[in-house]
Amino acid sequence: MAETADIVNLRRYRLIRNAVFVWLTLVVLGAFLLRIPRIHILEHTARNLYFHVPMWFTLMAAALVSAYHSLRYLQSGDPVRDLRAREAARVGIVFGLLGLATGIVWSRFTWYLGTSLWWNFDPKQSFVLIQLLIYGAYFVLRSAVEDPEKRGRVAAVYNLFAFVTMPFLLYVLPRQMESLHPGAEGNPAFSDITHPIMRLVFYPAVIGFIGLFWVLYTQRVRLALLERRLEMRKATMLEAKS
Amino acid sequence: MKAWLRGFWAVFEKDIKLELRARYAINMLLLFALGALVVMAFAVGPTPLSARVQAALLWTVLLFAAAVGLGRAFISEEERGTMLLLQLNLRPGAVYAGKLLVNFALLLALNLVAVGAFAVLLRVQVAWPGLLALTLVLGSIGLAGATTLLSALIARAAGGRGALLPVLLFPVLVPLLLSAVEATRSALLVAEGWAAATDELLTLVGFGGAVITAAVLLFDYIWLD
Amino acid sequence: MKLQALTDTAGIATPYDTIWATAAVPTKPPQGIERIMLAEDKLYVVLAVVLIIWFGLILFIFRTDRKLDRLERTLQERLPEANTGLSS
Repeated sequence: MAETADIVNLRRYRLIRNAVFVWLTLVVLGAFLLRIPRIHILEHTARNLYFHVPMWFTLMAAALVSAYHSLRYLQSGDPVRDLRAREAARVGIVFGLLGLATGIVWSRFTWYLGTSLWWNFDPKQSFVLIQLLIYGAYFVLRSAVEDPEKRGRVAAVYNLFAFVTMPFLLYVLPRQMESLHPGAEGNPAFSDITHPIMRLVFYPAVIGFIGLFWVLYTQRVRLALLERRLEMRKATMLEAKS
Repeated sequence: MKAWLRGFWAVFEKDIKLELRARYAINMLLLFALGALVVMAFAVGPTPLSARVQAALLWTVLLFAAAVGLGRAFISEEERGTMLLLQLNLRPGAVYAGKLLVNFALLLALNLVAVGAFAVLLRVQVAWPGLLALTLVLGSIGLAGATTLLSALIARAAGGRGALLPVLLFPVLVPLLLSAVEATRSALLVAEGWAAATDELLTLVGFGGAVITAAVLLFDYIWLD
Repeated sequence: MKLQALTDTAGIATPYDTIWATAAVPTKPPQGIERIMLAEDKLYVVLAVVLIIWFGLILFIFRTDRKLDRLERTLQERLPEANTGLSS
């Protein structure tokens, strides 16, 4: 089996990892040091724009990567593809959870002051919750199948099937629920509430967090490849002994 | 093409005949749905419910019944050892289509009984019966499509572990559930009706079409070993 | 965009300020945890968000590291065996 270095370009990984860390440090500095316009009710929490919203974009990126590798796995049967699909889903779950948690904290102490409302029943929030359920089901399904090749195929089929229903979810949910998110019913559009200067930190934040997703995902892929090499070495050793 | 149709019809015929003889799946579906509706009726009590809640209860029961009752479509093949026979003689698409039609027929039968019980037990007034019927049919298409694919997935790979089908099925069917509940609600209220439900009906059609298309494409990968 | 216009945030407070003018503002004074969160113009809400993300990521990285440690340990144990077990 090929060495990890053949599958993951380690020099490129280190380069991107270091760049992402520097980039995100700058983003954090900019997020707190850049002056923003005062907005009624939001006040400083508008800065959450730089942290909460990129979680959504990162989850979307993770879903795309995972579905892509699931498709390629079905086409080629290459186990590395299945591995990549799995790890992308895993990291996607992390960012999805972070997005939900930060959204809850933000809304509770900004718009829901004095109330006991923690859950919004907002389309985007519900979408993330359902995506997390789907990925949870994905991992449960994986654990139910013994044979690795079958496991990969079954998991890939479910991943792609769920991916097909995503656009419907994105379309149907906003029609059913009110939203605190900008651009929805009764809320000003995104560009109305974000002063152009915030975009200076916002766009880099999105790019930075997607980069961070790539770093964590590639790290996990390297880990999974190592585990696989170990398994195969164990298998060949058992064969050699018998 | 002819061979495909013959294969598809053969699968459908075989399963329907078996079903009519043993009546296992249909009994399970009906009894589960009735049981759930009775439980709900007692739990809710005499207080009248809003149309939205009534629609929600109906579709929740249908979803659960499908997950519980239709899951065995492929397991019986595994158990009886006829899986190999099917694999050798028929194209995967034909097997899927045959099973899909069986499940769809079962769901239609379920709808008839469940809606009747629902109207009686929860004291529901249906303002637009035609709309309700169409919503049920369109919803059942998507429901059958997804359930057939996922039950095949579980049967082929996971040995049909118990609660796996609902776990896989429910998150995927949320768009269907939401649209169907909205459309059903429109069917229950005199003030709403066809005009209010067009968007939801179109979504159900789109969703059903997408689910079946995806299932047909993906079925090959889990059918052949 | 001109740099001055970009950084001039003082003057544009009003247009953005009226957007949620109709939103209900609570009349009770904040209790408990809300008192901390509302101080400094809700800056601590931002801090909470950043900390959630930061600690969530740290937790994930630590879990990955632990798996790596376990792997390295297993490889250490197996490496001497591997050299004698394989024929080539």
